[in-house]
Amino acid sequence: MTNVVVIGSGFAGQTAALYLGAALGKKHNITVINKYDIFGYTPSWVWVGVGQMEPEKTIFKLKPVYDKFHINFVQGTAQSIYVDDQYVLVDSADGGGETKIPYDYLIIATGAKLNFSGTPGLGPHDGYTTSICSLPHAMDSRDRLFEAMARMEKGEKQKIVVGAGHPGATCQGAAFEYLTNIHKVLEKKGLRDKAELLWLSNEPQLGDFGVRGLRVRKGDRMLTSEEFIRAVFELYGIKWQVQTGVRKVEPGKIYWENYDGAEGETEFDFAMLIPQFLGPGFTYYDKEGNDVTGQMANKGGFVLVDAIYGLDWDTLADTPEAWPAVYQNRKYKNIFAAGIAFAPPGSISRPFVNPNGLSITAAPPRTGMISGIIGRIVALNVIDLVKRGRMTHAERMTEMFAACIASMGDSLWDGSAATIVIYPVVPDPRTYPNEEGRDLFVTDMEMGLAGAWMKRMIHTTFMHKLQGRIGWQYIPE
Amino acid sequence: MTTFEITEKDAKKMNNKIIQLWRFIMLNLKILKAVDHSKRS
Repeated sequence: MTNVVVIGSGFAGQTAALYLGAALGKKHNITVINKYDIFGYTPSWVWVGVGQMEPEKTIFKLKPVYDKFHINFVQGTAQSIYVDDQYVLVDSADGGGETKIPYDYLIIATGAKLNFSGTPGLGPHDGYTTSICSLPHAMDSRDRLFEAMARMEKGEKQKIVVGAGHPGATCQGAAFEYLTNIHKVLEKKGLRDKAELLWLSNEPQLGDFGVRGLRVRKGDRMLTSEEFIRAVFELYGIKWQVQTGVRKVEPGKIYWENYDGAEGETEFDFAMLIPQFLGPGFTYYDKEGNDVTGQMANKGGFVLVDAIYGLDWDTLADTPEAWPAVYQNRKYKNIFAAGIAFAPPGSISRPFVNPNGLSITAAPPRTGMISGIIGRIVALNVIDLVKRGRMTHAERMTEMFAACIASMGDSLWDGSAATIVIYPVVPDPRTYPNEEGRDLFVTDMEMGLAGAWMKRMIHTTFMHKLQGRIGWQYIPE
Repeated sequence: MTTFEITEKDAKKMNNKIIQLWRFIMLNLKILKAVDHSKRS
């Protein structure tokens, strides 16, 4: 009997668990370790954050799903991994102390550690900004936004700032969606003229989203994501400031540096800024009890896998095979990392260091669909290894598609959304020898009601899939 | 000065149910094409 352990039950972990449970659950030991006993559907927390969706609609209990798939569930926080002795040390949530969970194969799918302390004054706990990166954060954002709206109703003007809260932040797509939803909510309530909205981001240009932006064919011309997002912001009266790294936040004031090295400050009444994402930050030990974390993870705590690390950006941009294919640690081949937890070989967007030596670089996004796809690839390979002793699945981010749907209101009748479909996520100039390095049929961006339908469809189908309901495996990640 | 803007005509198209049904089908086709590749890997 083989022990397979998955740490984390976000998009990557939950997808992996379902495939593993369905294929191996009856004959082998599949165990999921997660801090909470619920799954949270992160993309819809944007709607929770503007009061357009009840928090309960974005979560479900994990245990009943795992029971159906013959998966053991351990609620607790994984602390350290003993790579030679092959066990995970878990701090149980029930107060039962530390538990050893043995594994033959380990999938690390923890998602991101939100590093609010990377920017002094950032975040809802010890800082002055809000976040939509967890459900409690999204609910806190909603409450603080409502307070700002109450002030607007009294006639006060409010400045709302949304974007990246760290020079190396990622997930700009979610922040963009939050901003456009705020615009729509304010418009509906007749308060739009009482608010100044600002997009503050570390992207090299508007519409970059950490994926080097995109260009699509529209009729007889090529349209860039920069032109597209600029047009959306102009239509909605949203101001923007890109090429900016947030350094510090104080009550009502954001301090930043830009590409030129200039320092400045932006005042705000309400700010939702995405923090830097870090890896799981486990400590890894070998059989002698030596700390081998440096061999297993990079400085950010992300797990090293089968990528080619250390290439300069221009070389990386021309080397699709530098991106990992099977997400397997090179030294400990029974350890895999899925979703945000794996260490990417570099950024997709061009990195930038300003004259003061500050790196202002949008990190590559690995959330949502990308996480789900990697979770499936890793699970199918572990199933292969258990059953046949060799892996048969591989998919690099240079072969992977992603859809980013930034809703602007949730109505299925008069809502709207900017839909961005990217294929592949990381440009591959060899397979697609055009200027974009992408498939120009699939890669698209447009705005309209169809996007609102897509967003709702994806929410419904993913919640169905991730609960392992009938036909779950036919719904793409 | 932007080279692309969303005109009133565009805004009407964005909420025209027939056009948007067509776009919804096209977006799904695009995703299915990419998924087809992904599922075969």
